[in-house]
Amino acid sequence: MKFLKLDIQRFAHKKGQSSTQNGRDSRGRRLGAKAADGQTVKAGSILYRQRGTKIYPGVNVGMGKDHTLYATISGIVKFERLGRDKKKVSVYEA
Amino acid sequence: MIKIKIKKEQITITGHANFADYGQDIVCASVSSIVTTTINAILSFDEKALVYEENKDKLNLKKFKKDHITETLLKNMIRLLKELAQSYPQNIKIIEEEN
Repeated sequence: MKFLKLDIQRFAHKKGQSSTQNGRDSRGRRLGAKAADGQTVKAGSILYRQRGTKIYPGVNVGMGKDHTLYATISGIVKFERLGRDKKKVSVYEA
Repeated sequence: MIKIKIKKEQITITGHANFADYGQDIVCASVSSIVTTTINAILSFDEKALVYEENKDKLNLKKFKKDHITETLLKNMIRLLKELAQSYPQNIKIIEEEN
């Protein structure tokens, strides 16, 4: 009988044999600000994409059913505080 | 988990230690080294002292010669494997059977 070859990983789990149930993810939704503070925008421009109301609609700003904030007039964008811990975005005439 | 089944006339080693990834599994390395050293030591003294069969992740030792050296080396191997199993109970299991 010939000698047994020394393979010190003989009883180790070979790479690639294990599988995982993870490894999936959805595409990024590109949320967040679409106009900066002080920027001039046209009526109807989208100001902020969000899930829920991270930022509330302020003066001359409307909110879509997916909570998207948009300008209702042309003007300058202003991000402001709303109460103690909330924010809102407004558009003021230039 | 590595399972080591010890019978009078046969010792079977199967499974994976699963202690770490391939290449870093120290438990597997220990078991492999202890077993390989013992087999090759026995065969160094007498080529016909035992027969082993190896495939994918199973190693089978059998037809042991009843001489002092073979029995002593096999006992030593089993003692070391038991010691290892105490340190790594999640990764090694020793099963002793009568027949």
